[in-house]
Amino acid sequence: MSNILNVKDLNFSWGSTSVLKNISLSVKPNSLVSILGINGAGKTTLLKCLNRILSPSSGEIKVLSKKVSDLELPEVAKLISYVPQTVMSSFAMDVFDVVLLGRRPHINWSISQNDRDKVSETLRFLNFEDFAFRRFNELSGGERQKVIIAKAIAQDSSILLLDEPTSDLDLKNQVEVMKKIKELVSSNDLTKSALMATHDMNIAARFSDYILLLDKGEIKSEGSPEEVLTVQNIADVFGVECEIFPRTDKDPLRIFIRDSIVSENSEK
Amino acid sequence: MDSVSLKHIENSKLQILSMTVLCIITFFTAIFALGLGSSVNLDFFSTMKIVFGFDSSDDMQSAIIWELRFPRILMAIIGGAALAIAGSLMQGCLGNPLVSPLTLGVASGAALGAALAIVLGFSIISNSDLAIVANAFLFSLIVVGVIIQLGNFRSVSAESYILVGIAITFIAGAIVSTMQYFATDAQLSQLAHWSFGSLSRPTLENTIWITVALVVLLPSALKKAWDLNSLALGGDDFAISTGVNPVKTRKEILVLSALMTSIVIAFTGLIGFVGLAAPHMGRLIVGNDYRKLIPCSAIFGSLLMLVADTIGRTLFAPIVMPVGIMLSVIGGPFFMYLLLRHRGAGH
Repeated sequence: MSNILNVKDLNFSWGSTSVLKNISLSVKPNSLVSILGINGAGKTTLLKCLNRILSPSSGEIKVLSKKVSDLELPEVAKLISYVPQTVMSSFAMDVFDVVLLGRRPHINWSISQNDRDKVSETLRFLNFEDFAFRRFNELSGGERQKVIIAKAIAQDSSILLLDEPTSDLDLKNQVEVMKKIKELVSSNDLTKSALMATHDMNIAARFSDYILLLDKGEIKSEGSPEEVLTVQNIADVFGVECEIFPRTDKDPLRIFIRDSIVSENSEK
Repeated sequence: MDSVSLKHIENSKLQILSMTVLCIITFFTAIFALGLGSSVNLDFFSTMKIVFGFDSSDDMQSAIIWELRFPRILMAIIGGAALAIAGSLMQGCLGNPLVSPLTLGVASGAALGAALAIVLGFSIISNSDLAIVANAFLFSLIVVGVIIQLGNFRSVSAESYILVGIAITFIAGAIVSTMQYFATDAQLSQLAHWSFGSLSRPTLENTIWITVALVVLLPSALKKAWDLNSLALGGDDFAISTGVNPVKTRKEILVLSALMTSIVIAFTGLIGFVGLAAPHMGRLIVGNDYRKLIPCSAIFGSLLMLVADTIGRTLFAPIVMPVGIMLSVIGGPFFMYLLLRHRGAGH
């Protein structure tokens, strides 16, 4: 089965500062890939390069064998949807209309019944129907985050890019939203996958099929959660001591953070 | 079809119905305004009869309505609509509810052109009747040129446009102030009169040309409605994620709105408030969907301008107060009332 996403030797720099260095990765169909790393490791930059918000200095990105750099933006939006960390708006707009913006790449001018149904279905899928006619700018941060996730799902693209999608959500909503995303990418549709940048290792450990650990713009480690989330990797990249509880029949892989590691330099 | 989809359709129908009612109110206000003036006052039905050709007994009344008042009323409708559309476009593409058609410095460019014609007698055309209009239009087009050049920079942001607009306003303002310092009393008076904004200056022919320009530019604006929805809601990253090129779209929209603004204010002088307030009034009725907001803002712009001009013509008759002043005096408190009432209602 061919990969949904192939990234080869991707580099990105802000001026003379290199942010991403020779990133290569492949994403298989029906998989949820988590990108972990400290602040400034390049997680968000990587996601933004994938859907052309940022232009890489070099490298190649292919989605379903199509080179992303050769496509017009509406075509890119049909293949890749994106959930930014936050969306703030000064203008009042109904939640339904915000989610409808996900249909923008498929709409010329008028809204078809199919577009309306897609929005309704997505809101129902996320148990968010009651919010359909609330004003987006009057919602809490977590509710807004859920609306933007709904917009990305309604976009009906092959790849869902999520930048810290659970950062503003309460515990119950974190689990519910992640279950829904997992359900979405695990569907029978072989052209669906998701990439998620997150700081929550336990969410990544529980829901990811594959993890990419970024350190200073490079891939430090990649593989299954068990392969990547080791005591040594976590200490090296995040500078914290932790204890790992292996996956059991009842519980997922869990990481318990004990304390930060005080380096020899800072002791002096 | 499920209940959420049905409700969305019902809401859309209700919004279109509200816009239709607003159109009818604007039409009746225009008929009412045609009958009112300092010389002849006609009741609503007498005006209707003359307008629709059922009463041609009094040539004098007919001439006053068609030759004196009609060009002004038409200019109020077209000018108000154009400035309101320009305002809504700018607010959307810059993602900022505080901007108006005058923010980008188009008006300051026009004022500079007018001041050059009035104070220094410099004009790009020899026809003295149109010297101020031609200069105002040319200098506002220069500002449009600056906007186009700015838009060619790939990394230009919404804030950059606003800051450049403020810089242009300061530079043009300083030159105009210098000219005012050396101007005669008569020149100062003429310049002040131009800057108040008035509907008495454009002729019927001018108004028809402005209408043609608006009709030509409007489809391009409406075509960008979905792109504006994305840009207004979430800014550049969000817009790209929905397939919109924010830099290209912003540049095209700003040029469109600057053209609409310069075409109107070259003839009328500075009229600012309608471009700020009418889009917000539109949002209270149809929300922020630009497919409906553009026409709804236009209707509110026309209505605001009509009401302000009619009160300005009749309140202290035979003295006619400039529409620019009346808009701010009447429209300002009304706008605040609407916004506060809306918030109070918990929307």
